[in-house]
Formats: sequence, structure tokens, C-alpha cells
Amino acid sequence: MKKIFNVLLGVVTSIGGFVEAGSISTAAQGGAEFGFALLWAIAVATIILAMLAEMAGRGATVSKQSMAAAVRQRFGFHYQMIPLGAELMIDLLLLAAEIGGIAVAIRLLTGAGFQWWVLPIGLVVWLVLWFGNFTIIEDGVGLLGMITVSFIVAAWQLHPEPKAVATGFIPSIPDHDLTRYAFLTVSIVGATVSPYLLNFYSSGAIEEKWTEPDLWINRTTSYLGMGFGSIVSMGVLVTSAVVLGPLQIRVDSYEQAALMFVPAFGRWAVTLFACALGVGCFGAAIGITLNAGYVLSQSFGWPWGIDKARRDATRFCTAFTVVLLLSVLIAVVGFDPLQMTLISVALTVVIMPLVVLPFLVLMNDQQYVKQHKAGPLSNGFLAALTIVGALMALVVIPLEIFGG
Amino acid sequence: MSDTIRLDRVIGRTIRTANNRKLGRLEECRAERRGDSWVITEWVIGAAGLFERLGVGVRMILGFDAGSSFVARWDQVDLRNPDRPRLVCSVEELKRA
Amino acid sequence: MEEHGLTPTIDVVHDVLDKHIVDRNGREMGRVDGISVELRGGAPPRLAEVLIGASVLGSRVNAVVGRWVQGVEHGLGIGEERPVRIRFSHVDEIGDKVKVDLAVGETGSETLERRLRTWILKIPGSR
Repeated sequence: MKKIFNVLLGVVTSIGGFVEAGSISTAAQGGAEFGFALLWAIAVATIILAMLAEMAGRGATVSKQSMAAAVRQRFGFHYQMIPLGAELMIDLLLLAAEIGGIAVAIRLLTGAGFQWWVLPIGLVVWLVLWFGNFTIIEDGVGLLGMITVSFIVAAWQLHPEPKAVATGFIPSIPDHDLTRYAFLTVSIVGATVSPYLLNFYSSGAIEEKWTEPDLWINRTTSYLGMGFGSIVSMGVLVTSAVVLGPLQIRVDSYEQAALMFVPAFGRWAVTLFACALGVGCFGAAIGITLNAGYVLSQSFGWPWGIDKARRDATRFCTAFTVVLLLSVLIAVVGFDPLQMTLISVALTVVIMPLVVLPFLVLMNDQQYVKQHKAGPLSNGFLAALTIVGALMALVVIPLEIFGG
Repeated sequence: MSDTIRLDRVIGRTIRTANNRKLGRLEECRAERRGDSWVITEWVIGAAGLFERLGVGVRMILGFDAGSSFVARWDQVDLRNPDRPRLVCSVEELKRA
Repeated sequence: MEEHGLTPTIDVVHDVLDKHIVDRNGREMGRVDGISVELRGGAPPRLAEVLIGASVLGSRVNAVVGRWVQGVEHGLGIGEERPVRIRFSHVDEIGDKVKVDLAVGETGSETLERRLRTWILKIPGSR
């Protein structure tokens, strides 16, 4: 009974923790510019994320090693330093973008100017990590994140035409601006399949001390949790499509995106949007910061764990503190958070093949997954994803330049 | 007289034959416990480079073995200049991996 | 490689390099960042030491990076104890992890951790 409760909690917190700066901005832009036509991209990206997360969780549960640790161990430092270095760079930018997103949310709520909010926000993120433990962070932040369900509520209230929505799940060629459509498709994938999420999820499996009998929990949380979570993302897109699309508002800022709540929530529109944006970004900021500590510690072999006493994992604590500090400095410079989000999302796509390739090897390595190896379907998926990922990686920068 | 070299700096280096032809890269070495020590008995020389560490992965991803591999005994490899490992025998004397 | 305590043959790169290294009590010491080999004229080369340290990793990237990281280690006051060198004769077991017959306190692998601890203990809530 307790296990079922924990699984349900895991699914709920996955829903609450799904959307953040990247998914909100790409879905909002996608909806505003192409109506429902990019719903299939969110669906496909979610399937990719769920499959990779399930594999990451499975490997960590069986081998008691996170993805980062397994990549160092199996592939050696020479291979690992490239995706590791790239992931850290992207995480710095993405974390700065999430912090910026929280700052924008506070400005929407209070009207008070933006840049200097970044410092207290950084401090609050750090305090939650310093004093928190895995349960508080996972469950607390995830439950708070349920406010993002307001995107689903808004979409529902607008009564979009069901047939039109359903058509959005079928990939199609748009009748205008193909480059921009392609760019947003790739960006949605990059925003959803964040590399930090995979190592974070695998580290979480170790923090939660999952064992092989718990693999069904891993599968349920991955597929159901992320599946339902993607409905929130789709809610953003549908709401944006119905409200902003006809007004031809191209979402160039979060302030413009907030307008999507007006028909559904009236005078509460800005408040609700700000809360949803702020909490979504806050959850992601916690996750990215914590994962920076994980990935550095696991790569270099330092003791790690948010449930460990801080004095017993000093390099881990120092690592996440330094990364947070650097991101706060980037955010305080005042780059536009929406632009930073789109850049980090594009860079995610560039390194995706390097992130996915290890899965292909590790999921077939008996030393890592014992008898829980990938079947032919999973291997086919991974191989296809590596190739498609490589193609996307080649086109994303030109697309960013011409369609971004 | 003995020299100490860094194994991790030698691994991945191109090894050349006695007449300066590139043979492949030093990808792995096998060691055996003798008493209190571990001694290197063989070197694996391959064309696959980094992919060697992927093992099964290469065959799965590429569908074929990337290049041929050789195995050299410890006395067939000269590492006195670790940046330029050399074979001290003919290629024909090497075992195929 | 089959692992049952002391095994006759190992693949050094696959089985030792980049693996976790633990002390005789199972406590984490870091990872095998490098390995030194003693060349003996007329006898097979001998695995000399396991090396642990960021400068060792840095020098695997290239020599300049290695020297730069060494500088950082000196700046942090741990340069004297880096890299941590553990004679291969202390390696007890090579399996999922490399186990040595020393205690972590007998090596310098925890120096940075301990030094940071003196700072971290000043922060409230450091448990």
C-alpha cells in the first residue's frame, strides 16, 4: 500500500515538475505561431524522454551507478569529458534562464524590477538544497508545481475544437514559415529531453535506494509521470494557440505569454501565470543545481548525496554551490531569459547524440544492467534516436540562425 | 635502470613499425599478477581507437568490426619514448586479436 | 575479466582505469585517474602506481591543462598531496571497484574534502 502511495506521489510530482522555462517558452511560441500543429512534437519528445529516463533509472537501480558514473567507468574520461563539459555549459545557461524566469514571475506579481531579484532567488534555491533532503525536494517542489495544471485548466476552459486538436498530433508540413516550424520542432525536443534530467533521474533512483523489485516503480514513474506531465506542456501550447494565435502575437517575452491566461482566468490571469512560471522554473532550478553537484561528484568519484550530512560530502556541496553562483552571475548580467532558454535548448540538441550513444552500449552491457538488457525494440529506438539526434544536431544551429 | 611512464598517456597513441609505418593505436594492455606485482604481458593494438572501449557497441552501431586488431607481447613494443611507441619486431610476428 | 578476489589476468584500461577505488573498509577514495608503469629493460613492464587527482585527469586532456590544474591544486593548498599515489602492490581486488588494502586516511585522497569541511562546518545547518 505504501509503495502504491509512493508511486502515485512520484507520478504526481512528475506532473508538477514537468514544465519549466524551456517547455513553457517553446510550447507558447509553437502554439502562437502554428496553432495545434506542433502537438505531435511534444508527444514524440515526451516518449523519447520517458524511454531514456526509464533506461537511466533501470541502469542506476541495477548497477547502483548513475549515468555519469557509468559513462566514466565504461567509456573512460576521454569520451566523457566532451558531453560532461558540454552538459555543464548548457546547465549553467539553462539554470540562469530558469532563475531569470523566476525573476520575471516575481516582476509580474509585484511590478518590481527584475535584475536584482536574481540574487535572493539564488539564495533561496541554495537554502532549499542546503537544508533540504531528497524527499522534501522531490515531493515538496513537485506538489507545489501542481499549480502548473492551470495550463490544462485554461486549455480546457477555452473549449478548443477536438478534431483540430487531434489533427495536431499528426506531423504535417505547415503552409508558412517552414524554417521556423522546423526550428520550433527541434527546440521542443531539446526543451523536453534535457540532458540534466536523465542523470538527475538516475541519481534519484540511487537516492531513493531502489532495488530490482522496484523496477516497476521506475517504469510507472517514467511513463505515466512524464506522460501526464506532457499534458501540461500541451496545455500551454493549446492555450497559446487559441488565445495568442488569432491575435498574431509572436511570443517574444514571458510578459506576452502571460496574456494567454486572460480569457480563462480574467483578472487572475497574470497572477496565475506568474505563479505557474515561477514555480515551474523554481523546481527546474533546484533540479539543475542539484544535478550539477551529482554529475561532477559522480564523474570524479567524490562522495555525493543530498541525504548525506553536508560535512560528509563537502566537494559535492561546493560543486553545486559554485555552479549556482556562476549561473546567478550570468543571470544578473541581464540577458533576456527567453533568449537564454532558446539558446540552451538548441545546444542541448547539438550534444544529444553524445548523450544518447552511451545508452545504446550500457543498456546492452550485462555488467551494467544484468538480465534487464534492452530488447530489440529499445535498441532500434536508441539507434534511430542517435541517428535522428545527429541529424538534428547538424541542422539546429542553422535553424536557430534562420528560424530562431 | 628503470623509467616510469604514464599508462593513460600511452593508451590511444599511434604505434609505428620498425620502418615507420603506422600500425594502429595502443588500446589496451593485459597484465598478470606475479607475486606482489602486476606485470604487463601483452598490448592490444587496434584501428578502432576510442571505439575499442565501446566493445560490443561498435559491432552493434556500425554492424562490423572497425578495423583489425593485433596483440603484441610486452617485448615486442618499445615504450622508452612514450609519445612514440614503436614495434620492435615485424608485423607478421604479431598475433591477430 | 572474471573477478574473484585475486585474478590471474586483467585488461588494465577496461578493468582498472577510471574505476572507483575504495579503501579496505569500503570507503570511497575517488577514481583511478591514472596509472604509472615501470619500464624495466629485459623484464616485462610493471604496473607501478594508481594515481588519483584532478591534475592527472587534466594531463590526460593535454599537458597544458594538466599543469594548469596542478596550479589550482597548489592554490587550494593540496598540491603537496596530489596526485595521490598508491603502489599497485596495495591493490587487493579488481572487480566492480578497485579495492586497496589501505585506509583512506593513510593516503592524501581526502585532503580537499577535509579542508572544505572546515569551511562548511562554519555554515549553520551543515549537520
